[in-house]
Amino acid sequence: MTPQLDEYVEAEIQRLLTETGAVAEQGITLQRREHLLVLGGEVESAQRRDEICRQITAKFPDVEIACDIGIVRAAAPSEVEEIS
Amino acid sequence: MIRIAAVGDVHVDKDVLGRYRPALEQLPGVADALLIAGDLTRHGTVEEAKCMATEFGDVGVPVVVVLGNHDHQSDQQDALSEVLRDAGMTVLEGDATVLEINGHRLGIAGAKGFGGGFAGACASSFGEREMKNFVGTTEAIAERLGAALRGLDCDALVALTHYAPVPETLVGEPLEIYPFLGSYLLGQAIDSAPTALALHGHAHHGSERGRTPGGVPVRNVAHPVIKQAYNVYQLLSEDVDANLATV
Repeated sequence: MTPQLDEYVEAEIQRLLTETGAVAEQGITLQRREHLLVLGGEVESAQRRDEICRQITAKFPDVEIACDIGIVRAAAPSEVEEIS
Repeated sequence: MIRIAAVGDVHVDKDVLGRYRPALEQLPGVADALLIAGDLTRHGTVEEAKCMATEFGDVGVPVVVVLGNHDHQSDQQDALSEVLRDAGMTVLEGDATVLEINGHRLGIAGAKGFGGGFAGACASSFGEREMKNFVGTTEAIAERLGAALRGLDCDALVALTHYAPVPETLVGEPLEIYPFLGSYLLGQAIDSAPTALALHGHAHHGSERGRTPGGVPVRNVAHPVIKQAYNVYQLLSEDVDANLATV
């Protein structure tokens, strides 16, 4: 049975993502739907994104997740801002 | 004219090696210095600092950094700083440096900063010892930052922090966590000197632009906010030549 995604579970996952050494992400957003957890935010590599999903699935195997986490782009800029 | 490249929250570890290099190799053509606003690593280990030194070292322009909260996670911040200094970077914490650029003196004062919040919802040094320590930590850091800024003799003055000095650049973050993202005390320190630009990171979901109550432009250069390898800011504009278009 899919567990109730209440705010205690949300808080526990939020702390898991920060305090677990393999993740250490403070910028992941969690959106609770009825039986689905939508993950948002951006990280520096695909490995980090995949590890976030792996950690949540390992600790909360019954929680269904949808991962919308992006990899932040690292291209050179094309503009300069003049500060005045 | 001075051009400063800036980014924060790069969180380098071995899985990031090489991602920034193509953009960093263009740096000497577009900027005179690179400033990095903390959270250089994921867990603040010496190994990650070596990755940071590999990725952001030897980029052809001076590199000036402050540490962030992630860089304190393993209690190795001193050893981490040493690795970065050995790689030629300047690491600031409540102190300052001056770079001679194009006949101008660019002064940079930096500190990690800390939390406490902003007018209307700020922490006070009252009650439990833990609360007094929290506020006292920010007070001490802000005091050193202000003194470092006021002590500089330069043509353009830049403040570099990890935590935010104003709430405007936090817009997009949950209001509830503003006190963990910055402090008005940092803004007050920045306003105590003729600062031309204040750069910070930390707020991944924040906004790019703000201004202190004293009128100093503030830019949140957290990597997830600027969504590119670095931003470039131009100070002391007297001419415009450019590989980059001015906006």
